[in-house]
Amino acid sequence: MADDSQRNFRSVYYEKVGFRGVEEKKSLEILLKDDRLDIEKLCTFSQRFPLPSMYRILVWKVLLGIIPPHHESHALVMKYRKEQYWDIHHALHVIRFINDSTPQVDVFLRIHQLESGKLPRSLAFPLEPEDEVFLAIAKAMEEMVEDPIECYWLVSCFVNQLNSKHKDSLQQLPKILEQYLNIEDNRLLMHLKACAAMSKLPYDLWFKKCFAGCLPESSLQRVWDKVISGSCKILVFVAVEILLTFKMKIIALNTAEKITQFLENIPQDNTDAIVSKAVDLWRTHCGTPAHSV
Amino acid sequence: MAQQGNVGELLSMLDSPVLGVLEDITAAFKDNLICDRGPMLVNNLVDYYLETNSQQALHILSTLQEPHDKHLLDKINEYMGKAATRLPTLSLLGHVIRRQPSWKHKLSQAPLLLSLLKCLKTDTDVVVLTTGVLVLITMLPMIPQSGKQYLHDFFGIFGRLSAWCLQNPGHVAEIYLVHLHASVYALFHRLYGMYPCNFVSFLRSHYSMKENLETFEEVVKPMMEHVRIHPELVTGSKDHELDPRRWKRLETHDVVIECAKISLDPAEASYEDGYYSVSRKLCTSSKHHQTDPSASYYIDTQSSYGTSTPYSTPRLTLSQMPGQLPQILSPQSIRLSTEPQQVTIWSPSAVCGMTTPPTSPGIVPSESSQSSSQPYSKAFGTSGGKGTPLGTPATSPPPCTSDDFVHISLPSAAATPPKKFLGGLSFEDSAEKDREEDAISKEISEITTDAEHMVPRGGFDSPFYRTNESLSGSQKKTHSVVSTVQGHSQTSEPLTSSLDKPGPESARETPKQTFTPIDKPCGGSGESPAGNREGTSGETSILTPSPCKVPAQRRVVFGSGQPPQYEHLFEVALPKTAYLFVGKKTEELLKKAKGTQDDDCMSSTSPVEVLDRLIQQGADAHTKELNKLSLPSKSADWTHFGGSPPSDEIHTLRNQLLLLHNQLLYERFKRQQHALRNRRLLRKVIKATALEEHNAAMKDQLKLQEKEIQALKLSLQKEQARYHQFQEEHENIVAQLHSQIRQLQHDREEFYNQSQELQTKLEDCRNMIADLRLELKKANNKVCHTELLLSQVSQKLSNSESVQQQMEFLNRQLLVLGEVNELYLEQLQHKHTDTTKEVEMLNAAFRKELEKAKLCVQQQSQRLDASQKRIAELESQLAKKDHLFLEQKKYLEDVKIQARGQLQAVESRYKAQKRITQAFELEILDLFGRLEKSSLLKKLEDDKTEAAEAAEERLDCGNEDAVAGYSEETIGRNGETKPPSTRGSSSSKGGSSSELSTPEKPQNQRFSSRWETSMLLEPSTTLPLTVGSLPSSKSFLGMKARELFRNKSESQCDEEGVTINRLSDALKTELCKDPSMETKESSVGQLHIMDYNETHHDHS
Repeated sequence: MADDSQRNFRSVYYEKVGFRGVEEKKSLEILLKDDRLDIEKLCTFSQRFPLPSMYRILVWKVLLGIIPPHHESHALVMKYRKEQYWDIHHALHVIRFINDSTPQVDVFLRIHQLESGKLPRSLAFPLEPEDEVFLAIAKAMEEMVEDPIECYWLVSCFVNQLNSKHKDSLQQLPKILEQYLNIEDNRLLMHLKACAAMSKLPYDLWFKKCFAGCLPESSLQRVWDKVISGSCKILVFVAVEILLTFKMKIIALNTAEKITQFLENIPQDNTDAIVSKAVDLWRTHCGTPAHSV
Repeated sequence: MAQQGNVGELLSMLDSPVLGVLEDITAAFKDNLICDRGPMLVNNLVDYYLETNSQQALHILSTLQEPHDKHLLDKINEYMGKAATRLPTLSLLGHVIRRQPSWKHKLSQAPLLLSLLKCLKTDTDVVVLTTGVLVLITMLPMIPQSGKQYLHDFFGIFGRLSAWCLQNPGHVAEIYLVHLHASVYALFHRLYGMYPCNFVSFLRSHYSMKENLETFEEVVKPMMEHVRIHPELVTGSKDHELDPRRWKRLETHDVVIECAKISLDPAEASYEDGYYSVSRKLCTSSKHHQTDPSASYYIDTQSSYGTSTPYSTPRLTLSQMPGQLPQILSPQSIRLSTEPQQVTIWSPSAVCGMTTPPTSPGIVPSESSQSSSQPYSKAFGTSGGKGTPLGTPATSPPPCTSDDFVHISLPSAAATPPKKFLGGLSFEDSAEKDREEDAISKEISEITTDAEHMVPRGGFDSPFYRTNESLSGSQKKTHSVVSTVQGHSQTSEPLTSSLDKPGPESARETPKQTFTPIDKPCGGSGESPAGNREGTSGETSILTPSPCKVPAQRRVVFGSGQPPQYEHLFEVALPKTAYLFVGKKTEELLKKAKGTQDDDCMSSTSPVEVLDRLIQQGADAHTKELNKLSLPSKSADWTHFGGSPPSDEIHTLRNQLLLLHNQLLYERFKRQQHALRNRRLLRKVIKATALEEHNAAMKDQLKLQEKEIQALKLSLQKEQARYHQFQEEHENIVAQLHSQIRQLQHDREEFYNQSQELQTKLEDCRNMIADLRLELKKANNKVCHTELLLSQVSQKLSNSESVQQQMEFLNRQLLVLGEVNELYLEQLQHKHTDTTKEVEMLNAAFRKELEKAKLCVQQQSQRLDASQKRIAELESQLAKKDHLFLEQKKYLEDVKIQARGQLQAVESRYKAQKRITQAFELEILDLFGRLEKSSLLKKLEDDKTEAAEAAEERLDCGNEDAVAGYSEETIGRNGETKPPSTRGSSSSKGGSSSELSTPEKPQNQRFSSRWETSMLLEPSTTLPLTVGSLPSSKSFLGMKARELFRNKSESQCDEEGVTINRLSDALKTELCKDPSMETKESSVGQLHIMDYNETHHDHS
């Protein structure tokens, strides 16, 4: 409570007038100053405001449980994480699963596999679909995070969170997508249904890979902020917004294959706008994000 | 030239009287014609024909085949140009064309046609013109569409010739004009029939000119009275009728018939269409007729049998059957009342008999090839009269009167024109005789066919029946109905044969005989030829063909149309249909007879009739002469008349003969066309009859099936009746059963009622019992109650008794106490003195006590205050402590969370380690597996020896000494194995393993030396050693080792290091793949593996 008093009393009004993110950095700093970080508050903050990029990795790490809420144990835990990473890295080296020339993403995948006990007997074994998802996310994450160890832990925890926390809700997303699309643009939905494209939309790319490889990293970060803070519904709204943005082109296409192909390779120029619109849409449909956690 | 000569010879031999030579020559010519394609032979033949008028040459020329036609036409064209040879050329052309050669279509392109037209336009010779016109008329139907380009030429020719007929510019004999007129009339018919629109427009334009008006009035208008309106005038147009499509479907004879259809002239007309329309109507009506075959059959037999009954009756009965017939018959039936004979004339059989035209065309050429007129003249002699055929059908004399009636009623109308001619012809009768021969021959054929067909209808009533008797005695009156058909075929045969045979005299006689019976009935009137022959020569004028008589006769011949020609054949083949057909025919003719009669009364005579009459007159005159002279030959006639007649007249007569011949040939051509058409129509009729038969058969089948259906219906009805019976029975039984059921139900109800009554009674009884019981209970209660009351009362009684006793006792006490009280009152009055002092003393004592108590209270309150303060103090302290506790708790929580976070990280790390070891384990096992496989054989051998050793070793591990010894042993072995192992590891294993092994060696050695000096080794020293050597696998191996030795001995921490060391060494040596060491080390490996297994077992 004492921290709150330090905050600018105008900050509440900035938002009402339409200035977003003026006081955010400050308030986040205040939040991060707490020893024993309040994860709930961080979640709410992350849902409500875009994260400043300088704190993003830290917040993600905290939210994903890579580092504990206590500042003093951060160094120790990170040391452990580092050691664990290198141990597994070394083991994989020993059993010749990786070598120095192995791409970083593959290294991550192997480490993750070993950690989850799913390491195949041989390198030659084909990749599972979940491995593909991991690779896609890892590739995107690699762009965002410089440190390989941090990157690995973020990817691993992110994927674990998706698989454990959001597993059930991820399956519901296509239905919800149809529902919101019906509200937003009935005609487009009719067209998609007429083309029988509803079942062939790139759901894997959108919901399992969380748009990794679909959106550029700068936009993707903002989506993932919300996902990591616990709302996977944002994915639906991003998908809806993509469909709405490229509505004219989709309507011009007649076959499900063409539509799918187009959606898998959407142009990357105005994705920031798409994500902003999607966040707005998400807010209007799901109310205050704090309650939708 | 040799050939030329040869041809000349052949030509000279052509008319050889010897038959054999004739045939040879003809064959030679034909061969030549086939071989030679040049025009020479044809030219020669034409020349020869024109010179000699040879029949053989004509025959050859008229049968010329395709390649020669051009030469022939060229040649004819050439001769056509010359006036001298024009006439024979035309007749040759006529002969050729009438043959209808296969190249006839080329005629329209040939220059010959042009020259013919030119000739017709310019020539002034009547004979040539007439012949040319006839040729043209013959040619027109053959080239209907190609001839259209000359249409205006045709019309021009018509205009010229019609004008000629009237004006007679050449001032030729009128007798020629008659012929010309007839030809023009034929041309008119042909043109009007073929190109009505064009022709009418021509007429309109041509005769609208004033100078032509007279011609129109005199010549064309009468002609137009003999045609009906052509349908094409209504539906067609000028262009349409010239359309090739119109003509494509039509053959030559079709065109001829088309033309004949529009004619009203009975001599020309064909009533085919009329027949069709009527017959169609009759077909429908005849169905009704057919439904009652027995009746109609009866009637027909009656009519054919007709011995006594007049025809009218069966006809009338017949007429009442079909719906349409009464109407048709009504006028006739009116006439019937006046002259019933007239009706009989039109009996179907009579009509049938009269109608059939001569014979098949096959006979025609043979006839014509014969020396023409001889048989005709004979026939003429025999038949003579014209009117007789009419009379023949009559059974009784009245025919004569009927003839008379006809004669009388009609001559006034049209008798005049022929008279004019007759007047001019009176001196020519001898010449006329020849001409008449043609006409007569025609009529003869008609009559003979008459005779033929009188028979088929049974003819028992007719004179022919008698004729048959006289001819062949075999035919008796005993002819049954069935045999009429047979009789027909039998009788018709001799007749036709006798007539067709030209040669023998006997045959010539037979017709005479045949016809005499015909004449006989008529003889009474003196009109018959027999009568003529007998000498009534003066009657020629009466006998001369009256205008109405000829039509009457013609009407019979032509009016009935062509189809009946083969009717007698139908009668043989299809008796039933034939009857129907005959019936139809009758109605039709009846109608027509009426119509034509009316027509005849009004219309003028046609040129053909005039010509006919002319011929007849000539024939009559000739007959007269012949009868007078009774001379067989013509030449005799002339000699008898007194030398040779003047050459001019001879010329005229010859020309007339020629013209007549032409006319005859033209008529014959027409007849051929008709015959062709007849055959086609016959085929249609036969088909139709076959279909009708088929229909009849189908109807029979239908009837049979209907009968079957009826039978089935009957049986169905029976079955239904039986079913009804069964149903009734069943219903009866059901009703019975129902009544039984009802009765039983009734009984049951009664019983039920009874039982209910009883039950109610039972209930009542029960109720009563219950009531009684209740009463009993009540009574019992009352009894009990009273008993209780009784006991109570008795008790009360005893109580009251005791109370009375007590009362008495108390009363006594009261008395005693009263006395005591009185006594005490007396004592109290005595005492009441000195109590105040004592009270004061008591007050003072109490005051002092109060003070003391107050002091004490003050003291207590002070103490309370102090203690309260102390409590507050302590409470604050407690709160502080609580707060401290809370803080401590929070902190603890914090620390816990912090620890948990760290612990989580550590745990994850630990898990990762576990995974790593698992992965390593997997890898190791994999490698072991590979090793085992390669050294399976040796292992098996060593197993036995090493197993014992291993067992011992394991046992020795129990105490420390043994361990030490063992370790020594192993160390020694290690020392032994070291060099190869290091070598092997360095060589085989690259990267980390080689790095790892290098520091290991000195450590091991150091360790072994240390092991010798001191038995106990510090775990702290060994631990880093192992960690240094194998950092990541250390914990795993330690764990494994612990597991290994846990069961066998109470393993100590220091031992652990030893075993770990040993194990790691073993692993190292195992990993190196030195074949020399393999056997020994593998046993150790084996042992370890076995140990692992054991530990696993123990675990599990």
